[in-house]
Amino acid sequence: MGKVTIATDWLAACAGCHMSLLDIDERIVPLLELVEFTSSPVTDLKHPPKEGVTVGILTGAVSNTYNLEVARMMRERCTILIAVGDCATFGGIVAMRNLAGTEACLRRAYLETESTVDGIIPSHPDIGTPLEHVTGVGEVVKVDLFIPGCPPRADALFYALSELLAGRTPVVLPPEHFTYD
Amino acid sequence: MSGTIQMSINGITVTARPGQTILEAATEAGIQIPTLCHHPALKPIGACRVCLVEVKGQRTLQPACTFPVSDKLEVQTESPKVVEARRFVLELLFSERNHFCMFCEMSGDCELQSLGYRYGLDHWMYPTYTKRFPVDATRDYFLMDHNRCVLCRRCVRACSELVANHTLDLRQRGAHSMISSDLNVPFGDSSCVSCGTCLQVCPTGALVDKRSAYMARDKDTVHTKSTCSQCSLGCGIDIVTRGGLLLRIQGDWQGAVNGGVVCARGRFEPLYETRTRIATPLLRDEGDLREVSWSIALHEAARRLRDAAPKKLGVLVSSRLTNEALYLLAALFRDGLKARTAGLLEKVAPPISAKAQGSLADIEKSDCLLLVGADPAADQPVASFLIKRSVDKGARLIVVGDETHGLSAFATTLVPPAGLASALERVQRADYPVVVYGAGIDEKARAALKKLDSRARFVALQPGVNTRAAVAFGFEQTLKVSGLDVLLVAAGEQDMDGQAVIEKIPDATYLIVLASYHSGLTEKADVVLPVATWPERSGSLTSTDGLVLKAHKAVDPAGEAKADWEVVSLIAEKLDRKAGASLEEISAEALRTLA
Repeated sequence: MGKVTIATDWLAACAGCHMSLLDIDERIVPLLELVEFTSSPVTDLKHPPKEGVTVGILTGAVSNTYNLEVARMMRERCTILIAVGDCATFGGIVAMRNLAGTEACLRRAYLETESTVDGIIPSHPDIGTPLEHVTGVGEVVKVDLFIPGCPPRADALFYALSELLAGRTPVVLPPEHFTYD
Repeated sequence: MSGTIQMSINGITVTARPGQTILEAATEAGIQIPTLCHHPALKPIGACRVCLVEVKGQRTLQPACTFPVSDKLEVQTESPKVVEARRFVLELLFSERNHFCMFCEMSGDCELQSLGYRYGLDHWMYPTYTKRFPVDATRDYFLMDHNRCVLCRRCVRACSELVANHTLDLRQRGAHSMISSDLNVPFGDSSCVSCGTCLQVCPTGALVDKRSAYMARDKDTVHTKSTCSQCSLGCGIDIVTRGGLLLRIQGDWQGAVNGGVVCARGRFEPLYETRTRIATPLLRDEGDLREVSWSIALHEAARRLRDAAPKKLGVLVSSRLTNEALYLLAALFRDGLKARTAGLLEKVAPPISAKAQGSLADIEKSDCLLLVGADPAADQPVASFLIKRSVDKGARLIVVGDETHGLSAFATTLVPPAGLASALERVQRADYPVVVYGAGIDEKARAALKKLDSRARFVALQPGVNTRAAVAFGFEQTLKVSGLDVLLVAAGEQDMDGQAVIEKIPDATYLIVLASYHSGLTEKADVVLPVATWPERSGSLTSTDGLVLKAHKAVDPAGEAKADWEVVSLIAEKLDRKAGASLEEISAEALRTLA
C-alpha cells in the first residue's frame, strides 16, 4: 500500500495551526513513513495535486474570494476534509471583522492609519476581494472533522491523524484533545 | 402538601420533597443536570434552556430548574433527544455573539465554555455573529462586554434579589436584547452601588474585574476563606491569591452574615489602597524617624512603658484591631500597667435597651424599619442591602435624615430628627418593628427610642470594625491624652490623617504608634511598629451582631510588618507580662473574656 497523501493549506490564518502540526516533534519521522505531505503553504507545491489526496487540512477563516477558491479546490481534491483551528471551525479572530464591517476595516487599515499618506484600498484581479462576512470553512464546503483550538494542541492533531491512519474518522475529538483556546 | 414524592430520574428511583424542582431533586440524588442561567443563590427563571429534560407525558422538553416535581414523575436527563436539544441550544448561544475563548478573560473558568466541552460543540451551523454590542467600562472596578453576554439574567436577578438595588434590567428584544442600567445610562452613571455581586455570578466573560483580569485561571489560584475587615458586619469573604499576590475578593456564599453578597467597600476598595505602607520599625533619632530593627524598637518602647507612672500612661486603640490585639492591650495596659487612659478612637453606638440586642436577621423579618443615626449605604453597605430587601418584601422604611441619606431613595418616609416622635408612633403600630441605629444618635433620640423597648428590636450598626470587642474589653470613648508621659496608639489600618486627637497629643508625650500606614500620627511618633493589614494576618473579629468570626492570613505581610496581636504580644513579653504563647491560646483567652 502506498503512502496516505495529505495536503494542507491556509485561508485567513496566522500560521499558528501549521506551527502546531510541526509541534508533533519527532513523531513526524515515523509519521512520514506512512504519509506523504503533497503540498502545503510552506512547500514548493502550494496546491493539492489534481489527482487528489486522501486527507485535506484547512486552517484559517474564509475571509475573501481567494479563500473561497482555495477551500473549494481542497474540497474537490480530497476525500476527508479537516477544519483545523478556531478560525476554520468558527471564524475565530478573523471573524471579529464582522463587528466593524469589511468596508470600515479596509478604510481603517489602508486609508486612516496614522502613518498613511495618500492611501488606497488595494484592488486587482490577481488578489482576492474581501467578503462581506467572515465565516468558518464549514459554511462554504462540507467538512468531515472539526478540530477547534487556538491553536489545537499538537497532540490533538497527531491523535486525529493517527485515528485516520487506523481507518477511523473521529466525529468529535475526545475531551483531552478538545479545546477552544 | 406534605410527605415525600417518589419519582424516577434516568430510571433511578429518587425521593423528593413537594415544592422542589426536578433540578433540586436530581442534585440531591447526585445526578448532575447542566445549567447556565441557574444559580443556587437566585430564583430560577428557565431562561437559557440548557437544563432541558425529557418528562414523560409532557409534549415538549422542560427546563429542570423550574419544573416542579410530582409523584411518579419520569425524567430523562441525558437521552438522545435531550442531548440533541442541548447541543442546539448551545449552538444558538455560541453563534449569537462573540463567544471565542482564545482571547477571553474567563477561558478556563467559563460555564458556557464548560458546556461546549461537555457536549463536544466543535462547530455550529448558524452564521457567525455579526452584530456588534458596546463594551461599558464606566464603572470603576469592573467592565461589561455585552458581546460576551448570554442574557442569562443572573446579574439582573442578583441586583434585584440579593442587593435589592434594581439597577439592572433588560432592554430591546430578541437578538438585540442587552443588559441595561436604569433608563439606559452607562453603568458608571447609574444607580449602581458597585457591589460587584453581578460580577461574582456572571457565568461568562461578560463582566470582568479590571484589577485581576487575565492574571490567573481559577485552578492556578489559592482561595482563603476569611472575614471582611472593613466594617462591623463581619461578612464572609473568599480572598483569591496567586503566588502571594492578592487578586480579588469574593463574597463567601456560606458567609453567615452576608450569604455571598459583599459591597464595594469589602470587594474592591481594599485592593486599591493608596496610602504609604510602613514596612519596618521606626525610631526617632535626632528629630527624624529612622529604620531600626524590631529588637531595638521593642526595647525602646518597652523601656518607656516600664518607666512610666500609671497615672502618666495611656493607650488608645482603633476598632480595626483584632479581638486578640484588643484583648492583649486591655490585659497589658488596663490590668497590668494600670494605665490612666484606655480609650477607643472611634465612636460607639450605645445600647438602648437592657434586653438582648436584635440581630441583622431581624431586618428581613421586619414590617417596619426605623433607621436613625446611621447611614448603612455608606458605612455598612451590606446592611443597606438587607434593609432594601425588606422594603422589597413590603416593609415600611422610616429614615431619620434628609435627602443626602444613602437610603433616602428607598425610604417610605423621610423624617427630620425633630420628627422622631411622630415616627415612633408609626413604629409602635407595626407587627415586627425594628430600629436600626448607629453612633449618630444623641442622648435625646436615645431616650425617645427607649419608649419602644417593649415592642421593638434594636439593631446597632457599630461604626468601627471591631467596636463591639473594644467596648467589651473596656476601652472607653475617651481621648484624654493631656498630661501623659507615654502614650501608645494602636491604630492598625485606621486612617489617622486629620484626626483631631493627633493635635491633642502633647509634644512632650513619648508616642508609640502601631500602624500599617504613614499618617499625621506616625509623623509625630517616637517609635513606630509596623502592623500587618487585613489579608496579612490571622485573628478574629467581633461583628456588630456579637458573632466572633475568624479572619485568615492570605498573603505575607509587607516588609517586616507583624500581626497586631503579635506586636502587642512582643511588647508584653519585653515587659515580662506575656499572655498566651500562640494565636490559638490568645484567641481562646480573648473569647473567654468576651463571653
